[in-house]
Amino acid sequence: MKKVSCIFIVDDDPISVFGIKKMLKSVAICNDIQIFQNGHEAYEAMKDRQAKGKVIPEVIFLDINMPIMDGWDFLDKFISMDIKRHIVINLITSSIDPLDYEKWRNFKDKCPHLLNFKNKPIFKIEANDLGCMDIAS
Amino acid sequence: MKAVERIDQSYLLKQLPKATALICNKGTLLDASYSWLDIFGLPPQNENTDIKVAAFFPEISDLNQRIEEHKSFFIQHKIESSKGEIRHLKSYFAPWFDKKENVIGTIIQTDDITSEVKKEEEIKWLNNIIETKVEVSKTGWWEYNVETEELTWCKETKRIHQVPDCFEPTTIEAINFYKAGYCQNKVSMLFHKAIVNHKPYDAKVMLVTFTGEERWVRITGEPIIENGKAVKVYGTIKDIHDQFVAETKVKENQLLLSTLMDGLPLNLFVKDLESRNVMVNKSVCNYFNKSVDEIIGKNDFELYDKEMAQVFREEDLQVMKHLTPMLGKETVSKLHGKSTYFLTSKIPYFDLDGKVCGLIGMSLDITALKRKEEQLRNLISVTSRQNQKLISFAHIVSHNLRSHSANFSMLLEFLKSEKDMEERKRIIQMLTRASNNLLETMENLNQVVDINTKDSETKKNLNLKNSITKVLHNLTALLEKNDSKILNNVAEDIEVNCVPAYMDSIILNLISNAIKYKSPNRPPLITINAIKSKKRTMLSISDNGMGIDLNKYGDKIFGMYKTFHNRKDAKGFGLYLIKNQIEAMGGSITVQSEVDKGTTFNVYFNEES
Repeated sequence: MKKVSCIFIVDDDPISVFGIKKMLKSVAICNDIQIFQNGHEAYEAMKDRQAKGKVIPEVIFLDINMPIMDGWDFLDKFISMDIKRHIVINLITSSIDPLDYEKWRNFKDKCPHLLNFKNKPIFKIEANDLGCMDIAS
Repeated sequence: MKAVERIDQSYLLKQLPKATALICNKGTLLDASYSWLDIFGLPPQNENTDIKVAAFFPEISDLNQRIEEHKSFFIQHKIESSKGEIRHLKSYFAPWFDKKENVIGTIIQTDDITSEVKKEEEIKWLNNIIETKVEVSKTGWWEYNVETEELTWCKETKRIHQVPDCFEPTTIEAINFYKAGYCQNKVSMLFHKAIVNHKPYDAKVMLVTFTGEERWVRITGEPIIENGKAVKVYGTIKDIHDQFVAETKVKENQLLLSTLMDGLPLNLFVKDLESRNVMVNKSVCNYFNKSVDEIIGKNDFELYDKEMAQVFREEDLQVMKHLTPMLGKETVSKLHGKSTYFLTSKIPYFDLDGKVCGLIGMSLDITALKRKEEQLRNLISVTSRQNQKLISFAHIVSHNLRSHSANFSMLLEFLKSEKDMEERKRIIQMLTRASNNLLETMENLNQVVDINTKDSETKKNLNLKNSITKVLHNLTALLEKNDSKILNNVAEDIEVNCVPAYMDSIILNLISNAIKYKSPNRPPLITINAIKSKKRTMLSISDNGMGIDLNKYGDKIFGMYKTFHNRKDAKGFGLYLIKNQIEAMGGSITVQSEVDKGTTFNVYFNEES
């Protein structure tokens, strides 16, 4: 069991959110799991936390296809934020469009955080998805 | 008596009209006629002068010896008068006998032949001129004497026949020099007719020369008539072989050119520097439906309307000014309202000095090709559009179905290992939800498939205003709940050719959207307008709602399952559906929007298809 201070789940599909939350229960202990319907909401919350000096999430589960602000747009904004911590971002999508995969590879190169690409369906959350650095500790 | 006789004789001598003188054996002048003395510039003389006659003939050194031979002879000589005039003379010397046949002296008779000599010189000079002329013009002459049947050839005539100068032909030989068959027969006949019918002739025939060379010659013949009878035939002969061959070659080339020009399936034209037609082929005449004479000398301003002609003239100038050919340019030429597509080339045309003197143009009619190309292009664009639609539809299907099936897989996996009954119940609830979502998606997709496959869905003429009123009636509850105001400006008489179910769907979706995305700060105001033109009818639905940033979402607004506002009832399907419905009927939809001001959708119904 890994202890995680804060996790963001950004997905507009309640079933997906349900699944992720359920899987997390068996691998992580976290008292601060936040759910967002789209990138915009998550970004606003992130800014708010940063401004108020609150804990920044260690792990983010991010859907790609969402209304208002999709996963890519969120990533764009997120990368430009001044965040000192190394964060694990898990991109979760049902898309098998090669274009999405290509986009991920581009983001991976310029992203200072760990960026995983996971195709749905997901059955288990690996330790790696929560950041391997902390496993050692 | 004797004395009287002698005096008489002497007096007689003096009066003789022909210049006569008597000299004795010693060469002394005895007596002479006044005319003789006048020739030699002597005063009248008495008998027995001491004038030595030899002095008057300084050119003849042996005159005395010849006189002593006592035979008649004559000499030609000349004297110079005191005025410096030269007179040509001819003097006859004859021995003078007495009654006993003894030579007692010499009789001299002198003729002034100055005019004859001058004439002779003139003739010589004229002959020289003729000779030179013959040499320069290479025209030989010949003469035939009808009576003696004698034929005379001049030097040039012999040269043309390539015979030696000593050759003297007979008439038959001369005629045989012409090529056997047509030429020989023709010359023979012309020659005969000249003599019998007094008919002159001028013909081009082929000669076979002495050395066997075949050459074209031009011959003429002219009978000389005396007392109604041809006594002579005079004629000329000129070697025109090189010229004739060149002419023939030119004619052949011209024929080849005109055959080529008229035979080619191209509009060919040659223009001068002023862009006037100098030469055109049959195709050009057919194109203008005019004769060659009606086109030659005219420029494009006289053949086309001004705008067209200006374009062509500029092309011409470009080619002639910069000497760069215009190759294979696609042009459209309008004549009597009919458009013809041409593939036109224009190249500068140079004269023999290498200076540009116009242009040569050729145009290939590619109208039929162009039409086919257009049909093909339309077909390609339709196909590619359909292909694009298919691909995007396939994407939608795979993405949406995949997300549902992924959820199923995940939930089932949970169910497998879940022992807690409460949790299992929750998972089954989720499964039901996933199943419902899948059903809804399938239903939506079905609608779209229906639109795109049933393109033969029957269209009807619908009264636009009635259709709108009907939809508004069905929406009454929603409109009242939201305190909405509708401004329906559609005219009563506008009819639209449209599938009825699509019409309801289009109006319903646009109006419910306008209410769904109303501004939180003001009650919805929806304005409906319609403009009918010949080809299409535009239905415009405007609201004062929250609007959408089209710079950000412009290309996605009509996409499937694209939602842009945080609303629970936004499914991202309505606009996608009506766009498909409108396009299936050959129409289109556009959107204008400003954030927090409002949105306008314009629907164009195509009235033709």
